[in-house]
Amino acid sequence: MNKPKVGVFGFTGCGGCQLEILNLEDQLLDLVNAIEIVHFTELVTEYSDTYEIALVEGSITTKHGVERIKKIGNIAKTIVAIGACAVTGGLNCLKNLYGPEKAKELVYGDKKDWIDSIEVKPIDAYVKVDYYARGCPPNRFEIVDIIRSLIVGRKPEIPNYPVCIECKRNGNTCVFELGITCMGPVSRAGCNSRCPNSVSGCEACRGVIDDPNVNAHKDLLSEYGLTVEDIMEGFNLYNACKGKTIEKRDK
Amino acid sequence: MLYKVLDKGVYRDFVKALISEYEFIGPKKKDKSEHDFVLIKDISELDTNYMRTTIPPAKKILFPPNEQLVAYELGENINVRSVVESSKKILFGINAWDINGMNFLDEFFTTDFIDENYISKRKKLIVIGMDSEPTETNFSPSIGAEYAKDGFDIYLTELKNRYFVRIATPKGNEILEKYTKVNDAIAEDFKEYNKYMDNYRMKFKMSVDIKSFYDDFESIYDNGDFWKKIAKDCYSCGSCNLVCPTCFCFNVKDDIELNLKNGKKIREWDSCMIPEYGLVAGGHNFRPDKENRLKKRYRCKLKTFIDKFGKYACVGCGRCIEACLAKINIAEDINLVKKEVSI
Repeated sequence: MNKPKVGVFGFTGCGGCQLEILNLEDQLLDLVNAIEIVHFTELVTEYSDTYEIALVEGSITTKHGVERIKKIGNIAKTIVAIGACAVTGGLNCLKNLYGPEKAKELVYGDKKDWIDSIEVKPIDAYVKVDYYARGCPPNRFEIVDIIRSLIVGRKPEIPNYPVCIECKRNGNTCVFELGITCMGPVSRAGCNSRCPNSVSGCEACRGVIDDPNVNAHKDLLSEYGLTVEDIMEGFNLYNACKGKTIEKRDK
Repeated sequence: MLYKVLDKGVYRDFVKALISEYEFIGPKKKDKSEHDFVLIKDISELDTNYMRTTIPPAKKILFPPNEQLVAYELGENINVRSVVESSKKILFGINAWDINGMNFLDEFFTTDFIDENYISKRKKLIVIGMDSEPTETNFSPSIGAEYAKDGFDIYLTELKNRYFVRIATPKGNEILEKYTKVNDAIAEDFKEYNKYMDNYRMKFKMSVDIKSFYDDFESIYDNGDFWKKIAKDCYSCGSCNLVCPTCFCFNVKDDIELNLKNGKKIREWDSCMIPEYGLVAGGHNFRPDKENRLKKRYRCKLKTFIDKFGKYACVGCGRCIEACLAKINIAEDINLVKKEVSI
């Protein structure tokens, strides 16, 4: 089996997704044995423009970022978006709610013109993304699953069902029963119901499922005293760049 | 069946002995709303006075949510072996409808194909049943599942100063003889037991008119509007499946290690309510609409296995009703089918 050349790239984000790869500890030696890492922003100083697989973290928020991601798109045969920022735009999209000019002014005041900052978009607004490792942070074992699937030539299994399934597999008491609201019933699983496992509501960091029952969930949350504004505020945490990416199917 | 009585004075010592001798699984308080069946190391953890459990205890033990089936090694010689793990356990405090749910799984996993992973665990499981308080959504008397006729080794029913003991297997008898002292039940014990059961049955608030469902269902099967209305709020989240004591569907996943030599095949609980369930190679989906999926689930629960096993794939425990955030209620829907048809 060939050993693919892999680049790990970071755009606007906290860098935590790259750290998740480094957090693989037990599997790290097997990982570097299975792939050849030629570029890894948070790991090595060396860089390369020759790679087959690009793992991309972060959302696109600058003109320079647009150029870089397009270059990656021209080189890589396969692009994997890792983490909420790359997949849905993530937290950075909160900026869009103000509009880029207003946001720049709020943060940089009279120096705002020095700053290259554009409307936040997920990477698939600029390049074709083959696979999405969703979440904030992404599930590192899912990243491994995508990599090994690419090596053996198989389609990775990325769930498109709600968090409820994993939550029940884990035997959790539904957090609604404990008086806590949760986005789980309309949000994508794959995180092993991380937040409800700790008796805390899901915040939809992996985005919503393909066919969410939005009206049912609105009704349910309003029974728990939430207004539409409250719901959108919670939902916008990871999904303010809603639209294309949220509705788009995993291939 | 043997009928005995166990004095309350010796009950604690009996349970303590079982806890020290066996891998003992029993109900333990989990949070303000639920109990969970877990490994009990000390009698102080055991709380048989329970009402809600998210996951049915027998299903959790015998058909766990994630289970390795196969280990394999790739290379010049491909080596594949089945993985069957089981150990001797006591399941203590399981109630009648959950025993009936387990009886269904027993039949399912041994009909047409013997599921070694299930049956090896089942053979080593000692079942000691006990009644528990029904939730408001429990309609098991309508299904005939509030009383267990078989499936257990021992069934303890708490009377005033003693337990009425039903012994269904030689193993159950052996355990009682070894770890405690029981006396033969006399007429007075039976009388008190029958009175207890009458009172117990009164505790179930929900009831369904299931008798005519078998025929009624067919006449409403193609009424799209009816099913659309019922499934309107369905999230397709699968909670109803996963908490069901009789839902047996699973998916098998490949888990190959990064060394690309060793791998596992793992099964995990699946759900017929999610769109991917009916998705096949090539992209066709047999059940793309949620109303279709819900309708088929009802058929599986209340009709399919009447034809196959002569029983419902539902014990009326009401877990799916409690788990459903969209408030879809199988009991109300059974009654609704009858009402709709009789118009």
